[in-house]
Amino acid sequence: MVKVLIVDDTAFMRKLLKNILFSAGFDIAGEAENGKQAIELYKELKPDIVTMDIVMPEMNGIDALKEIKKLDPNAKVVMCTAVGQEQMVKMAIKLGAKGYIVKPFQAPKVVEELRKVAKV
Amino acid sequence: MPETRLIAEFFDKEWKKVEVLITDKAILWEKSKIEFKEIVDLEIVQHSQKECIRIRRERDYYFNFGDKQRHVFRFLAFNIKSDKFAVYFLSPALRGGVLVANSKWEKGYFSITESAVWFLSPERQIRVPLNAIGSVNKDTRTVGDKPRVVLALTHMEGKEVLTSFILCPETTLELLMDYLRRILEQQKPKEKLSEIEEQILTMVYTGLDSSSIESVLGISTEELNKIYDKFVNLGIAKVVKIRKEIELTPKGVVIVSESAKNLGGGKGG
Repeated sequence: MVKVLIVDDTAFMRKLLKNILFSAGFDIAGEAENGKQAIELYKELKPDIVTMDIVMPEMNGIDALKEIKKLDPNAKVVMCTAVGQEQMVKMAIKLGAKGYIVKPFQAPKVVEELRKVAKV
Repeated sequence: MPETRLIAEFFDKEWKKVEVLITDKAILWEKSKIEFKEIVDLEIVQHSQKECIRIRRERDYYFNFGDKQRHVFRFLAFNIKSDKFAVYFLSPALRGGVLVANSKWEKGYFSITESAVWFLSPERQIRVPLNAIGSVNKDTRTVGDKPRVVLALTHMEGKEVLTSFILCPETTLELLMDYLRRILEQQKPKEKLSEIEEQILTMVYTGLDSSSIESVLGISTEELNKIYDKFVNLGIAKVVKIRKEIELTPKGVVIVSESAKNLGGGKGG
């Protein structure tokens, strides 16, 4: 089963992603509400995929991605963005993010994208 | 399209064969004529068991042009009564929030009719009904290695939410954005939604069912139904399924008890 770490500063968005991914058969390894927590949990839980929000307090998703890639160059991180953050997404892809989903999203498409990334 | 004579099927209480003449200004058949500037809407639809072109003037006219259907539709789409703006468009760029990998920028027109907007190129004529438009915003996208301000339009196609981008001169972009925002403003509910109502709306959009929404938010079926009723009354949602809740009769309880015995067999359950 593919283990996912969900990173988002809003509890509602974490719950929503948890629900979608759990229903689709993913294993929710854990959840973090900022970049710092995400790095700690990545070390501890070793998830197969991370869904990473970009704009978060304490440490944003781009900085967290950099750190996670330092720890594990093979880490599979999917950025979770809002419309209007294309430049950040481009930076994230350069830094090694494997994909991105744009909020608001639709469940079947998110599942499809994560399954695709899980296979890479 | 040069002046063309075609044999088509026309629906007048039933499908019948007619000779149609398409000129550069009008479509003529039998003793009837529709000038293109009178056409307010155009769509490929299913009507009386046939895929056909619906032409709307003061009423609807249905034609089936057989293997020439797409050709005629393209010609009409470019020539009906509309305001057309030369643009580049990428449609869809996103489907359900996920990048559409094989989507390409096309040179063409963004066309506005009374009831729809269109993305028009020689290859594709995409009709988006006005009531299927969800939002319109400016966004910065990289086009040909340069950051460019584009118009991001979200719209529904069936149950999917698509995002398309329009690239055009800034004055046109402002004009289109103002026009589309005015339409959206007219469609907006007058009443402001609470935070929980907005969250429920987001979850419905995402595709969660009622029981998942109840469990995510920790609310009862009755509370959720009340909010659903409000959405329906505001015209922002429609009822597609009514859930049934049941409890077992004694006969049902007997069946469950019997099946539990079978399940328990042999493994200490």
